[in-house]
Amino acid sequence: MELARELIGLLSAFVIPVILVGFPLYGLYKRVPVYETFVEGAKEGFGVAVRIIPYLVAILFAIGMFRASGAMDALIALLNPVLEPIGFPAEVLPMAIIRPLTGSGSAGLVADMVARYGEDSLFVKMAAVMFGSTETTFYVVAVYFGAVNIKRTRHAIPAGLTADIAAMLFAVWVVRLLFG
Amino acid sequence: MLNYIWAALLISAFVFAGASDIGDLSRDTYRNGQPLPVVLEFPEGTAAAGGRTPVRIRINAGVYQDFYGTDESPAPSYDGVLLRTGEGMVLRFDAGAALPEPLETIRGVSRSNDDELQGTVEGFLSPVLGLGDDPTAAQATVQFEHVRFVKMTAIGAAALDFAETAAGIAIGLIGVLALFLGVMKIAEEAGIIYAIVRVVRPVLRPLFPEVPEDHPALGMIALNLTANVFGLGNAATPFGIKAMEELQKLNPSEDTATNPMVMLLAVNTASVQLVPPVLLLALLGLQINRLIFAIIITTGLSLLVAIMAARLYGKLPGSRASDPNRTRPFGETPRDAGRDSRRGEG
Repeated sequence: MELARELIGLLSAFVIPVILVGFPLYGLYKRVPVYETFVEGAKEGFGVAVRIIPYLVAILFAIGMFRASGAMDALIALLNPVLEPIGFPAEVLPMAIIRPLTGSGSAGLVADMVARYGEDSLFVKMAAVMFGSTETTFYVVAVYFGAVNIKRTRHAIPAGLTADIAAMLFAVWVVRLLFG
Repeated sequence: MLNYIWAALLISAFVFAGASDIGDLSRDTYRNGQPLPVVLEFPEGTAAAGGRTPVRIRINAGVYQDFYGTDESPAPSYDGVLLRTGEGMVLRFDAGAALPEPLETIRGVSRSNDDELQGTVEGFLSPVLGLGDDPTAAQATVQFEHVRFVKMTAIGAAALDFAETAAGIAIGLIGVLALFLGVMKIAEEAGIIYAIVRVVRPVLRPLFPEVPEDHPALGMIALNLTANVFGLGNAATPFGIKAMEELQKLNPSEDTATNPMVMLLAVNTASVQLVPPVLLLALLGLQINRLIFAIIITTGLSLLVAIMAARLYGKLPGSRASDPNRTRPFGETPRDAGRDSRRGEG
Protein backbone atom coordinates (compact mmCIF):
# COMPACT_ATOMS: atom_id res chain seq x y z
CA MET A 1 0.00 0.00 0.00
CA GLU A 2 2.77 2.39 1.00
CA LEU A 3 4.71 1.56 -2.15
CA ALA A 4 1.68 2.08 -4.35
CA ARG A 5 1.12 5.44 -2.75
CA GLU A 6 4.76 6.43 -3.29
CA LEU A 7 4.45 5.47 -6.92
CA ILE A 8 1.21 7.38 -7.46
CA GLY A 9 2.67 10.41 -5.74
CA LEU A 10 5.73 10.22 -7.98
CA LEU A 11 3.62 9.89 -11.13
CA SER A 12 1.38 12.77 -10.18
CA ALA A 13 4.41 15.01 -9.76
CA PHE A 14 5.40 14.22 -13.33
CA VAL A 15 2.06 14.51 -15.14
CA ILE A 16 1.95 18.29 -15.54
CA PRO A 17 5.64 18.84 -16.42
CA VAL A 18 5.49 15.99 -18.95
CA ILE A 19 2.43 17.52 -20.61
CA LEU A 20 3.79 21.07 -20.55
CA VAL A 21 7.22 20.11 -21.89
CA GLY A 22 6.44 16.98 -23.85
CA PHE A 23 3.64 18.36 -26.00
CA PRO A 24 5.54 21.38 -27.33
CA LEU A 25 8.62 19.20 -27.83
CA TYR A 26 6.66 16.73 -29.92
CA GLY A 27 5.08 19.71 -31.71
CA LEU A 28 8.56 20.97 -32.65
CA TYR A 29 9.40 17.53 -33.99
CA LYS A 30 6.22 17.67 -36.09
CA ARG A 31 7.27 21.14 -37.32
CA VAL A 32 4.39 22.93 -35.64
CA PRO A 33 5.12 26.63 -34.96
CA VAL A 34 4.82 25.94 -31.23
CA TYR A 35 5.02 29.45 -29.81
CA GLU A 36 2.44 30.90 -32.18
CA THR A 37 0.16 27.92 -31.73
CA PHE A 38 0.41 28.17 -27.95
CA VAL A 39 -0.52 31.85 -27.99
CA GLU A 40 -3.35 31.13 -30.40
CA GLY A 41 -4.82 28.54 -28.04
CA ALA A 42 -4.13 30.51 -24.86
CA LYS A 43 -6.18 33.43 -26.22
CA GLU A 44 -9.29 31.36 -25.57
CA GLY A 45 -8.57 31.27 -21.83
CA PHE A 46 -10.06 34.66 -21.16
CA GLY A 47 -13.18 34.02 -23.22
CA VAL A 48 -13.86 30.70 -21.48
CA ALA A 49 -13.43 32.22 -18.01
CA VAL A 50 -15.76 35.09 -18.83
CA ARG A 51 -18.31 32.73 -20.37
CA ILE A 52 -18.47 30.74 -17.12
CA ILE A 53 -19.23 33.77 -14.93
CA PRO A 54 -23.04 33.94 -15.33
CA TYR A 55 -23.41 30.21 -14.70
CA LEU A 56 -21.17 30.29 -11.67
CA VAL A 57 -22.91 33.36 -10.24
CA ALA A 58 -26.33 31.75 -10.74
CA ILE A 59 -25.34 28.58 -8.92
CA LEU A 60 -23.18 30.04 -6.16
CA PHE A 61 -25.43 32.87 -5.03
CA ALA A 62 -28.38 30.47 -4.69
CA ILE A 63 -26.25 28.10 -2.64
CA GLY A 64 -24.97 31.01 -0.56
CA MET A 65 -28.49 32.14 0.26
CA PHE A 66 -29.56 28.59 1.04
CA ARG A 67 -26.70 28.17 3.50
CA ALA A 68 -27.18 31.56 5.13
CA SER A 69 -30.91 31.01 5.67
CA GLY A 70 -30.52 28.07 8.02
CA ALA A 71 -32.57 25.87 5.68
CA MET A 72 -29.76 23.34 5.97
CA ASP A 73 -30.67 22.67 9.60
CA ALA A 74 -34.25 22.02 8.59
CA LEU A 75 -33.10 19.64 5.86
CA ILE A 76 -30.94 17.80 8.38
CA ALA A 77 -33.84 17.54 10.82
CA LEU A 78 -35.97 16.20 7.98
CA LEU A 79 -33.48 13.60 6.74
CA ASN A 80 -32.17 12.41 10.06
CA PRO A 81 -35.13 10.17 11.01
CA VAL A 82 -34.78 8.42 7.65
CA LEU A 83 -31.01 7.99 7.79
CA GLU A 84 -30.46 7.16 11.44
CA PRO A 85 -32.14 3.71 11.18
CA ILE A 86 -29.83 2.67 8.32
CA GLY A 87 -26.78 3.54 10.41
CA PHE A 88 -25.99 6.92 8.92
CA PRO A 89 -24.85 9.07 11.85
CA ALA A 90 -26.44 12.50 12.29
CA GLU A 91 -22.99 14.00 12.92
CA VAL A 92 -21.83 13.50 9.33
CA LEU A 93 -25.13 14.44 7.69
CA PRO A 94 -24.18 18.14 7.31
CA MET A 95 -21.10 17.04 5.38
CA ALA A 96 -23.16 14.83 3.07
CA ILE A 97 -25.49 17.72 2.28
CA ILE A 98 -22.87 20.45 1.92
CA ARG A 99 -20.34 18.47 -0.14
CA PRO A 100 -22.10 18.70 -3.54
CA LEU A 101 -22.90 22.38 -2.92
CA THR A 102 -19.59 23.97 -1.97
CA GLY A 103 -15.99 22.83 -1.90
CA SER A 104 -14.62 25.47 0.46
CA GLY A 105 -17.65 25.12 2.74
CA SER A 106 -17.18 21.39 3.08
CA ALA A 107 -13.44 21.79 3.71
CA GLY A 108 -14.35 24.19 6.49
CA LEU A 109 -16.73 21.62 7.86
CA VAL A 110 -14.00 18.96 7.97
CA ALA A 111 -11.78 21.38 9.90
CA ASP A 112 -14.68 22.12 12.24
CA MET A 113 -15.32 18.42 12.82
CA VAL A 114 -11.63 17.75 13.51
CA ALA A 115 -11.81 20.41 16.22
CA ARG A 116 -15.04 19.05 17.66
CA TYR A 117 -14.64 15.28 17.50
CA GLY A 118 -10.86 14.84 17.26
CA GLU A 119 -8.76 13.66 14.34
CA ASP A 120 -9.11 10.04 15.21
CA SER A 121 -12.88 9.85 15.47
CA LEU A 122 -15.00 7.80 13.10
CA PHE A 123 -17.05 10.87 12.19
CA VAL A 124 -14.01 12.77 10.96
CA LYS A 125 -12.88 9.74 8.97
CA MET A 126 -16.29 9.46 7.35
CA ALA A 127 -16.37 13.15 6.54
CA ALA A 128 -12.84 13.03 5.13
CA VAL A 129 -13.66 10.05 2.93
CA MET A 130 -16.79 11.86 1.71
CA PHE A 131 -14.71 14.92 0.94
CA GLY A 132 -12.00 12.98 -0.84
CA SER A 133 -14.20 10.71 -2.90
CA THR A 134 -16.64 13.21 -4.44
CA GLU A 135 -16.58 16.52 -6.25
CA THR A 136 -18.56 19.71 -5.81
CA THR A 137 -21.25 18.61 -8.27
CA PHE A 138 -22.94 21.98 -8.75
CA TYR A 139 -19.64 23.73 -9.36
CA VAL A 140 -18.62 21.18 -11.98
CA VAL A 141 -22.00 21.54 -13.69
CA ALA A 142 -21.70 25.34 -13.75
CA VAL A 143 -18.14 25.37 -15.06
CA TYR A 144 -18.30 22.54 -17.61
CA PHE A 145 -21.70 23.35 -19.05
CA GLY A 146 -21.17 27.09 -18.71
CA ALA A 147 -18.04 26.90 -20.86
CA VAL A 148 -20.11 25.66 -23.81
CA ASN A 149 -23.27 27.63 -22.98
CA ILE A 150 -25.38 24.57 -22.17
CA LYS A 151 -28.41 25.71 -20.23
CA ARG A 152 -30.58 22.61 -20.35
CA THR A 153 -28.61 20.05 -18.39
CA ARG A 154 -31.10 17.16 -18.77
CA HIS A 155 -30.24 14.24 -16.48
CA ALA A 156 -26.78 15.54 -15.52
CA ILE A 157 -27.77 16.77 -12.05
CA PRO A 158 -29.81 13.68 -11.14
CA ALA A 159 -26.95 11.43 -12.26
CA GLY A 160 -24.36 13.50 -10.39
CA LEU A 161 -26.45 13.60 -7.23
CA THR A 162 -27.18 9.88 -7.38
CA ALA A 163 -23.44 9.26 -7.49
CA ASP A 164 -22.97 11.67 -4.58
CA ILE A 165 -25.62 9.99 -2.45
CA ALA A 166 -24.08 6.61 -3.22
CA ALA A 167 -20.63 7.95 -2.30
CA MET A 168 -21.92 9.30 1.04
CA LEU A 169 -23.49 5.95 1.93
CA PHE A 170 -20.41 4.02 0.78
CA ALA A 171 -18.16 6.35 2.79
CA VAL A 172 -20.03 5.59 6.02
CA TRP A 173 -20.09 1.90 5.24
CA VAL A 174 -16.43 1.60 4.18
CA VAL A 175 -15.18 3.54 7.21
CA ARG A 176 -17.25 1.39 9.56
CA LEU A 177 -15.92 -1.72 7.86
CA LEU A 178 -12.26 -0.66 8.00
CA PHE A 179 -12.09 1.26 11.27
CA GLY A 180 -15.31 0.55 13.16
CA MET B 1 -34.18 19.68 -13.48
CA LEU B 2 -31.67 22.38 -12.63
CA ASN B 3 -34.53 24.89 -12.92
CA TYR B 4 -36.35 23.21 -10.08
CA ILE B 5 -33.33 22.69 -7.86
CA TRP B 6 -32.27 26.29 -8.36
CA ALA B 7 -35.72 27.65 -7.61
CA ALA B 8 -36.01 25.32 -4.62
CA LEU B 9 -32.74 26.66 -3.18
CA LEU B 10 -33.93 30.25 -3.51
CA ILE B 11 -37.46 29.69 -2.27
CA SER B 12 -36.42 27.58 0.70
CA ALA B 13 -33.79 30.18 1.61
CA PHE B 14 -36.45 32.89 1.63
CA VAL B 15 -39.02 30.82 3.49
CA PHE B 16 -36.64 29.62 6.17
CA ALA B 17 -35.07 33.02 6.68
CA GLY B 18 -38.53 34.54 7.02
CA ALA B 19 -39.74 31.85 9.39
CA SER B 20 -36.67 32.12 11.57
CA ASP B 21 -36.95 35.93 11.72
CA ILE B 22 -40.63 35.80 12.63
CA GLY B 23 -39.79 33.23 15.28
CA ASP B 24 -37.13 35.57 16.67
CA LEU B 25 -39.58 38.46 16.72
CA SER B 26 -42.29 36.52 18.49
CA ARG B 27 -39.84 35.09 21.02
CA ASP B 28 -38.14 38.49 21.30
CA THR B 29 -34.81 36.65 21.11
CA TYR B 30 -32.79 39.86 21.17
CA ARG B 31 -34.81 41.62 23.89
CA ASN B 32 -35.10 44.73 21.76
CA GLY B 33 -35.62 47.82 23.85
CA GLN B 34 -34.81 46.12 27.15
CA PRO B 35 -31.56 47.07 28.86
CA LEU B 36 -29.14 44.39 30.08
CA PRO B 37 -27.78 44.90 33.61
CA VAL B 38 -23.97 44.84 33.80
CA VAL B 39 -21.28 45.80 36.27
CA LEU B 40 -18.63 48.20 35.02
CA GLU B 41 -15.24 48.34 36.66
CA PHE B 42 -12.89 51.21 36.09
CA PRO B 43 -9.36 49.89 36.53
CA GLU B 44 -7.90 53.33 35.76
CA GLY B 45 -10.49 55.28 37.67
CA THR B 46 -13.33 57.38 36.37
CA ALA B 47 -11.34 60.58 36.45
CA ALA B 48 -11.50 61.36 32.77
CA ALA B 49 -14.60 63.48 32.46
CA GLY B 50 -14.75 63.37 28.70
CA GLY B 51 -13.63 60.98 26.00
CA ARG B 52 -12.71 57.35 26.50
CA THR B 53 -12.49 55.52 29.78
CA PRO B 54 -11.24 51.94 29.74
CA VAL B 55 -13.67 49.64 31.52
CA ARG B 56 -13.94 46.02 32.48
CA ILE B 57 -17.45 44.72 31.83
CA ARG B 58 -18.80 42.00 34.05
CA ILE B 59 -22.00 40.21 33.13
CA ASN B 60 -23.51 37.94 35.72
CA ALA B 61 -24.10 34.54 34.11
CA GLY B 62 -27.38 33.92 35.93
CA VAL B 63 -28.75 37.34 35.08
CA TYR B 64 -27.67 36.89 31.48
CA GLN B 65 -29.35 33.50 31.14
CA ASP B 66 -32.56 34.76 32.68
CA PHE B 67 -32.54 37.89 30.60
CA TYR B 68 -32.07 36.21 27.21
CA GLY B 69 -33.59 32.86 28.11
CA THR B 70 -30.49 30.98 26.96
CA ASP B 71 -28.09 28.34 28.25
CA GLU B 72 -25.01 30.16 27.12
CA SER B 73 -22.96 32.02 29.64
CA PRO B 74 -20.72 35.02 29.15
CA ALA B 75 -17.03 35.11 30.03
CA PRO B 76 -16.18 36.37 33.55
CA SER B 77 -15.28 39.78 32.14
CA TYR B 78 -14.81 41.68 28.91
CA ASP B 79 -12.57 44.62 28.20
CA GLY B 80 -14.05 47.67 26.59
CA VAL B 81 -14.27 51.42 26.67
CA LEU B 82 -16.88 53.86 27.88
CA LEU B 83 -17.28 56.79 25.51
CA ARG B 84 -18.85 59.98 26.75
CA THR B 85 -20.38 61.98 23.96
CA GLY B 86 -22.88 64.82 23.80
CA GLU B 87 -25.65 62.31 23.26
CA GLY B 88 -24.86 60.20 26.24
CA MET B 89 -22.60 57.31 27.17
CA VAL B 90 -21.72 54.50 24.79
CA LEU B 91 -20.25 51.25 26.02
CA ARG B 92 -18.07 49.54 23.44
CA PHE B 93 -16.75 45.98 23.83
CA ASP B 94 -13.27 45.37 22.44
CA ALA B 95 -13.23 43.91 18.95
CA GLY B 96 -12.67 40.17 18.92
CA ALA B 97 -14.28 39.54 22.30
CA ALA B 98 -15.65 36.00 22.48
CA LEU B 99 -19.31 36.77 23.04
CA PRO B 100 -22.10 34.29 23.80
CA GLU B 101 -25.26 34.17 21.71
CA PRO B 102 -27.33 36.25 21.19
CA LEU B 103 -24.76 39.00 21.85
CA GLU B 104 -22.63 37.55 19.07
CA THR B 105 -25.47 38.07 16.58
CA ILE B 106 -26.22 41.53 17.92
CA ARG B 107 -22.58 42.44 17.34
CA GLY B 108 -22.83 41.07 13.79
CA VAL B 109 -25.69 43.35 12.81
CA SER B 110 -24.77 46.44 14.81
CA ARG B 111 -23.52 49.25 12.67
CA SER B 112 -20.39 50.08 14.63
CA ASN B 113 -17.07 50.02 12.84
CA ASP B 114 -14.53 47.29 13.28
CA ASP B 115 -16.99 44.66 14.39
CA GLU B 116 -17.31 45.83 17.97
CA LEU B 117 -20.38 45.28 20.08
CA GLN B 118 -21.68 48.59 21.38
CA GLY B 119 -24.64 49.79 23.33
CA THR B 120 -25.91 52.91 25.07
CA VAL B 121 -25.48 53.07 28.81
CA GLU B 122 -28.86 54.04 30.16
CA GLY B 123 -27.49 55.30 33.39
CA PHE B 124 -25.87 53.96 36.51
CA LEU B 125 -28.25 52.18 38.83
CA SER B 126 -26.10 53.00 41.78
CA PRO B 127 -23.16 55.30 42.04
CA VAL B 128 -19.77 53.80 42.59
CA LEU B 129 -20.11 50.63 44.60
CA GLY B 130 -17.60 49.91 47.24
CA LEU B 131 -15.87 46.89 45.73
CA GLY B 132 -12.70 48.00 47.36
CA ASP B 133 -11.39 51.47 46.74
CA ASP B 134 -9.53 50.65 43.61
CA PRO B 135 -10.73 49.61 41.09
CA THR B 136 -14.00 51.34 41.39
CA ALA B 137 -17.11 49.73 39.99
CA ALA B 138 -20.64 50.68 39.12
CA GLN B 139 -23.79 48.89 38.19
CA ALA B 140 -25.31 50.03 34.93
CA THR B 141 -27.76 48.95 32.29
CA VAL B 142 -26.85 48.73 28.63
CA GLN B 143 -29.22 49.11 25.76
CA PHE B 144 -28.02 47.38 22.58
CA GLU B 145 -29.15 48.23 19.11
CA HIS B 146 -32.46 46.82 17.97
CA VAL B 147 -32.01 43.61 16.04
CA ARG B 148 -34.61 42.52 13.51
CA PHE B 149 -34.66 40.30 10.46
CA VAL B 150 -31.20 38.85 11.04
CA LYS B 151 -31.63 35.99 8.56
CA MET B 152 -33.23 38.14 5.87
CA THR B 153 -30.28 40.49 6.04
CA ALA B 154 -27.96 37.51 6.07
CA ILE B 155 -29.33 35.89 2.91
CA GLY B 156 -29.22 39.21 1.10
CA ALA B 157 -25.62 39.69 2.13
CA ALA B 158 -24.77 36.09 1.23
CA ALA B 159 -26.18 36.54 -2.28
CA LEU B 160 -24.00 39.58 -2.94
CA ASP B 161 -21.02 37.95 -1.33
CA PHE B 162 -21.25 34.74 -3.33
CA ALA B 163 -21.87 36.58 -6.59
CA GLU B 164 -18.57 38.31 -6.02
CA THR B 165 -16.88 35.02 -5.11
CA ALA B 166 -18.24 33.40 -8.28
CA ALA B 167 -16.80 36.08 -10.54
CA GLY B 168 -13.55 35.91 -8.59
CA ILE B 169 -13.30 32.15 -9.12
CA ALA B 170 -13.92 32.51 -12.85
CA ILE B 171 -11.39 35.33 -13.23
CA GLY B 172 -8.89 33.33 -11.19
CA LEU B 173 -9.16 30.51 -13.72
CA ILE B 174 -7.99 32.68 -16.63
CA GLY B 175 -4.29 32.01 -16.23
CA VAL B 176 -4.51 28.25 -15.83
CA LEU B 177 -7.06 28.02 -18.62
CA ALA B 178 -4.81 30.00 -20.96
CA LEU B 179 -1.81 27.82 -20.08
CA PHE B 180 -3.50 24.52 -20.73
CA LEU B 181 -5.58 25.65 -23.69
CA GLY B 182 -2.34 26.87 -25.28
CA VAL B 183 -0.62 23.54 -24.77
CA MET B 184 -3.73 21.71 -25.96
CA LYS B 185 -3.65 23.71 -29.18
CA ILE B 186 -0.13 22.47 -29.81
CA ALA B 187 -1.26 18.94 -29.00
CA GLU B 188 -4.05 19.23 -31.56
CA GLU B 189 -1.83 20.66 -34.28
CA ALA B 190 0.87 18.08 -33.69
CA GLY B 191 -1.62 15.22 -33.73
CA ILE B 192 -0.94 14.15 -30.15
CA ILE B 193 -4.65 14.09 -29.35
CA TYR B 194 -5.25 11.56 -32.12
CA ALA B 195 -2.48 9.37 -30.76
CA ILE B 196 -4.13 9.49 -27.34
CA VAL B 197 -7.52 8.71 -28.85
CA ARG B 198 -6.13 5.56 -30.41
CA VAL B 199 -4.83 4.38 -27.01
CA VAL B 200 -7.91 5.11 -24.91
CA ARG B 201 -10.56 4.19 -27.47
CA PRO B 202 -11.18 0.65 -26.21
CA VAL B 203 -11.77 1.91 -22.66
CA LEU B 204 -13.74 5.06 -23.32
CA ARG B 205 -15.85 4.10 -26.32
CA PRO B 206 -18.26 1.94 -24.29
CA LEU B 207 -18.91 4.94 -22.03
CA PHE B 208 -19.34 7.37 -24.90
CA PRO B 209 -20.88 5.30 -27.69
CA GLU B 210 -22.34 8.40 -29.40
CA VAL B 211 -18.86 9.85 -30.02
CA PRO B 212 -17.33 8.77 -33.36
CA GLU B 213 -14.36 6.50 -32.73
CA ASP B 214 -11.64 8.79 -34.04
CA HIS B 215 -13.00 11.98 -32.55
CA PRO B 216 -10.57 14.18 -30.58
CA ALA B 217 -13.18 14.51 -27.81
CA LEU B 218 -12.10 11.08 -26.56
CA GLY B 219 -8.50 12.29 -26.24
CA MET B 220 -9.56 15.35 -24.25
CA ILE B 221 -11.74 13.19 -22.01
CA ALA B 222 -8.78 10.89 -21.41
CA LEU B 223 -6.57 13.82 -20.40
CA ASN B 224 -9.33 15.16 -18.16
CA LEU B 225 -9.73 11.81 -16.40
CA THR B 226 -5.96 11.36 -16.08
CA ALA B 227 -5.62 14.75 -14.41
CA ASN B 228 -8.47 13.83 -12.07
CA VAL B 229 -6.94 10.50 -11.13
CA PHE B 230 -3.72 12.22 -10.13
CA GLY B 231 -5.55 14.81 -8.10
CA LEU B 232 -4.58 17.67 -10.44
CA GLY B 233 -7.82 19.62 -10.22
CA ASN B 234 -6.29 22.72 -11.80
CA ALA B 235 -5.34 20.85 -14.93
CA ALA B 236 -8.46 18.71 -15.00
CA THR B 237 -10.75 21.72 -15.42
CA PRO B 238 -9.21 23.07 -18.68
CA PHE B 239 -9.10 19.53 -20.11
CA GLY B 240 -12.71 18.97 -19.11
CA ILE B 241 -13.77 22.26 -20.68
CA LYS B 242 -11.86 21.38 -23.84
CA ALA B 243 -13.59 17.98 -23.91
CA MET B 244 -16.95 19.72 -23.51
CA GLU B 245 -16.10 22.00 -26.43
CA GLU B 246 -15.29 18.99 -28.58
CA LEU B 247 -18.53 17.30 -27.55
CA GLN B 248 -20.41 20.51 -28.29
CA LYS B 249 -19.14 20.32 -31.88
CA LEU B 250 -21.06 17.03 -32.17
CA ASN B 251 -24.16 18.53 -30.58
CA PRO B 252 -26.95 19.45 -33.01
CA SER B 253 -28.45 21.75 -30.38
CA GLU B 254 -26.96 24.93 -28.98
CA ASP B 255 -28.03 24.82 -25.37
CA THR B 256 -29.06 21.26 -24.54
CA ALA B 257 -26.69 18.67 -23.11
CA THR B 258 -26.12 15.46 -25.06
CA ASN B 259 -25.75 12.03 -23.48
CA PRO B 260 -21.93 11.99 -23.74
CA MET B 261 -21.83 15.41 -22.04
CA VAL B 262 -23.91 14.10 -19.16
CA MET B 263 -21.65 11.04 -18.93
CA LEU B 264 -18.51 13.22 -18.83
CA LEU B 265 -20.07 15.30 -16.11
CA ALA B 266 -21.18 12.30 -14.07
CA VAL B 267 -17.72 10.73 -14.27
CA ASN B 268 -16.20 14.04 -13.18
CA THR B 269 -18.50 14.56 -10.22
CA ALA B 270 -17.70 11.06 -9.04
CA SER B 271 -14.12 12.33 -9.06
CA VAL B 272 -11.96 9.25 -9.37
CA GLN B 273 -8.76 10.14 -7.64
CA LEU B 274 -5.86 8.16 -6.33
CA VAL B 275 -4.17 11.21 -4.84
CA PRO B 276 -6.10 12.84 -2.01
CA PRO B 277 -7.00 16.51 -2.46
CA VAL B 278 -4.39 18.89 -1.12
CA LEU B 279 -6.97 20.50 1.13
CA LEU B 280 -7.64 17.25 2.92
CA LEU B 281 -3.94 16.71 3.37
CA ALA B 282 -3.65 20.15 4.92
CA LEU B 283 -6.52 19.46 7.30
CA LEU B 284 -5.67 15.96 8.43
CA GLY B 285 -1.93 15.68 7.91
CA LEU B 286 -0.49 12.17 7.85
CA GLN B 287 -3.73 10.74 9.19
CA ILE B 288 -4.72 10.76 5.53
CA ASN B 289 -2.47 7.76 4.84
CA ARG B 290 -4.86 5.49 6.67
CA LEU B 291 -7.81 6.84 4.76
CA ILE B 292 -6.48 6.54 1.20
CA PHE B 293 -7.67 2.99 0.82
CA ALA B 294 -11.16 3.90 2.04
CA ILE B 295 -11.27 6.88 -0.33
CA ILE B 296 -10.23 4.79 -3.31
CA ILE B 297 -12.87 2.13 -2.61
CA THR B 298 -15.59 4.75 -2.11
CA THR B 299 -14.66 6.74 -5.17
CA GLY B 300 -14.50 3.60 -7.30
CA LEU B 301 -17.92 2.40 -6.17
CA SER B 302 -19.46 5.83 -6.69
CA LEU B 303 -17.91 5.97 -10.17
CA LEU B 304 -19.78 2.81 -11.05
CA VAL B 305 -22.99 4.32 -9.71
CA ALA B 306 -22.35 7.53 -11.67
CA ILE B 307 -21.89 5.62 -14.93
CA MET B 308 -24.97 3.50 -14.34
CA ALA B 309 -27.06 6.53 -13.32
CA ALA B 310 -26.00 8.56 -16.37
CA ARG B 311 -26.80 5.61 -18.61
CA LEU B 312 -30.11 4.64 -16.96
CA TYR B 313 -31.49 8.15 -16.53
CA GLY B 314 -30.65 8.78 -20.18
CA LYS B 315 -33.04 6.00 -21.10
CA LEU B 316 -35.99 7.54 -19.23
CA PRO B 317 -38.72 8.89 -21.51
CA GLY B 318 -38.16 12.48 -20.37
CA SER B 319 -34.43 12.37 -21.15
CA ARG B 320 -35.02 10.65 -24.47
CA ALA B 321 -37.53 13.30 -25.48
CA SER B 322 -35.02 16.06 -24.75
CA ASP B 323 -32.02 14.32 -26.35
CA PRO B 324 -30.73 16.72 -29.03
CA ASN B 325 -29.55 13.76 -31.10
CA ARG B 326 -33.06 12.35 -31.27
CA THR B 327 -35.28 15.39 -31.41
CA ARG B 328 -33.65 16.91 -34.44
CA PRO B 329 -36.02 16.27 -37.31
CA PHE B 330 -34.46 15.52 -40.67
CA GLY B 331 -33.29 18.58 -42.58
CA GLU B 332 -33.75 21.02 -39.78
CA THR B 333 -30.89 23.30 -38.79
CA PRO B 334 -29.21 22.63 -35.47
CA ARG B 335 -30.40 25.96 -34.10
CA ASP B 336 -34.05 25.12 -34.68
CA ALA B 337 -33.65 21.70 -33.22
CA GLY B 338 -32.29 23.17 -30.01
CA ARG B 339 -35.25 25.45 -29.65
CA ASP B 340 -37.67 22.73 -30.60
CA SER B 341 -36.49 20.21 -28.04
CA ARG B 342 -37.34 22.67 -25.28
CA ARG B 343 -40.75 21.03 -25.12
CA GLY B 344 -39.48 17.81 -23.58
CA GLU B 345 -38.00 18.95 -20.31
CA GLY B 346 -36.68 15.92 -18.41
